[in-house]
Amino acid sequence: MGKRYAMVIDLRKCVGCHACQVACKSENNVPLGVFRNWVDELETGKFPNVSRHRLPRLCNHSENPSCLNVCPVKATYQLEDGTVLIDYDRCIGCKYCIAACPYDARFINPVRKTAEKCTYCHERLEAGLQPACVNTCISGARVFGDLNDPTSEVFKLLATQPVNVSKPETNNRPQTYYIGADQKALRPNLLDIVGGEK
Amino acid sequence: MTTVHLFDTNHQIYWGLLIAVYFYYTGMSAGSFILTSLGTVFGIEKYKKVSKVGVLMAIVLLAFAPLHLLFDLEQPGRALNLFLHVNPTSAMSWGVYLLVLYPVCLLIYAWFMFRQDFVNNMNGTGFKAGLYRFLLFGKTDMSTAAKENDTKKAKFFGTLGVPLALAVHGYTGFILGNVQARAIWHTPLMPIIFLMSAMVSGTGLFIIVLMLVEKFKFGKLDADIKSLIADIANLMKWFIVIDGALMIIYFIVLWYSSEAGYAAAYYLLHGDAWSFLGLENGLGMLLPLLILLSKNARQSIPAVVVASLLTIIGVLAMRINLVIGGQELPLTGSKTLEYAVSGHDLTIVIGLALATTVVLSFLYAVLPMNRPGAVVKLTSQAVKEVAQ
Repeated sequence: MGKRYAMVIDLRKCVGCHACQVACKSENNVPLGVFRNWVDELETGKFPNVSRHRLPRLCNHSENPSCLNVCPVKATYQLEDGTVLIDYDRCIGCKYCIAACPYDARFINPVRKTAEKCTYCHERLEAGLQPACVNTCISGARVFGDLNDPTSEVFKLLATQPVNVSKPETNNRPQTYYIGADQKALRPNLLDIVGGEK
Repeated sequence: MTTVHLFDTNHQIYWGLLIAVYFYYTGMSAGSFILTSLGTVFGIEKYKKVSKVGVLMAIVLLAFAPLHLLFDLEQPGRALNLFLHVNPTSAMSWGVYLLVLYPVCLLIYAWFMFRQDFVNNMNGTGFKAGLYRFLLFGKTDMSTAAKENDTKKAKFFGTLGVPLALAVHGYTGFILGNVQARAIWHTPLMPIIFLMSAMVSGTGLFIIVLMLVEKFKFGKLDADIKSLIADIANLMKWFIVIDGALMIIYFIVLWYSSEAGYAAAYYLLHGDAWSFLGLENGLGMLLPLLILLSKNARQSIPAVVVASLLTIIGVLAMRINLVIGGQELPLTGSKTLEYAVSGHDLTIVIGLALATTVVLSFLYAVLPMNRPGAVVKLTSQAVKEVAQ
């Protein structure tokens, strides 16, 4: 069986330092104002019963990616190992993929003028390195590896820990797994936002 | 539970006014074509008089519609990639071919409809006669067989045009409907809602254009055109009824769907209320329906004009509410997204609207718009010849 890359983010270990966000910007030369990888941070409850949650977000490199299905020129493609990439020379910038992604993972690179998103640092993987965000994570909360390899760290974590993914109902079959994610961080509290909560 | 977001990343609404207006144009093109095909294709005699007006409007609107998309591309120079690389799972990829096939089919259909009038008016030295001679491409045969061929071919390409018109606007419904990320778009009703609102706005604009063409080409509205407009207004009433029923069904199911669906429905009623309830459904649907319910109003030209203008505005609001409003609810993060139309987009929308008007007026001015089936106005010389 070939490789299937995935990321497990253990939120019990995440301290919210945003180092992954910075490392990604630096590694991938991501322009100001847009992010391939970012950390949502929120606080819930009322003193003295409060808790603080973090949720690092990145492209889920889904099994059935909405972005790939809607691209009118096949500029978005998926490798055997599951990585979803964009052919920047083919992308026409129609932004359909951005509208279709349930995770807000994509944006228009204001310099290159094409769609862009996390690539799992593809060039680093090819050189035998870990993605920049994983490499820089100070607490080892981000774990990256091959799901089809029973000796890999991600395989062991998925096998032994309860995990969650963001928006499983969309049939994207996302491959970023969270340990200990709070549901208020995994999806926006829409009723609160529009004011429809009773 | 109180939740305070301490850090969250701003996202942007990427599909703006240009996309909404593109949907609006293709809709009016399809609507006006299907309406006027009632004569040539479905054999309803009285509509034959206006099929030329309708087909020119459909062609010009559809020629300008994709330009909005082109200007919206971040890499417009790569638009050719749309033809070179096809993705069968992408509704946008289907649309590329429909946007070529449909106007080509309409052009052939229009040519067969205009051919005999070109031949009748091709002798002369003026610009018009020269243009007609060029457009005929040498096909000046006026034998009975050739005339029968014109009718047959016009009917064939018109009949082909009807499913193409349904597809060219229906596919835009799939563009939004296929996006499961956004509850407000993700409904099987979307293509049908788009088609019915296209019939409403297409009919509305057609009534106005028809009146202008008749006024400028023939100086006045004939009694038969007036009665036809009352007929079309009656049809428009039914289009509004169906469109309104679909909107109500859509809204009710949205209200009872997922959390995201309920939030979207709630947001339509509260956040975007002035535009959704006021413009789109109040002014744009309910008011014209109330006007058109009265038989007297349908026979009064000013009342029909007001109802038509209202539907045109209402359907534009509907396109904007769906396309832009559909992206206002966040997919991640903690607040609704704001959209402000850029000067660039607004300039293009206004520029293209003006260009559409100019090109359409030019075509109506130079092409022979005489009505098949209507009484031919005889020139004084012809009257003398008939008298002899």
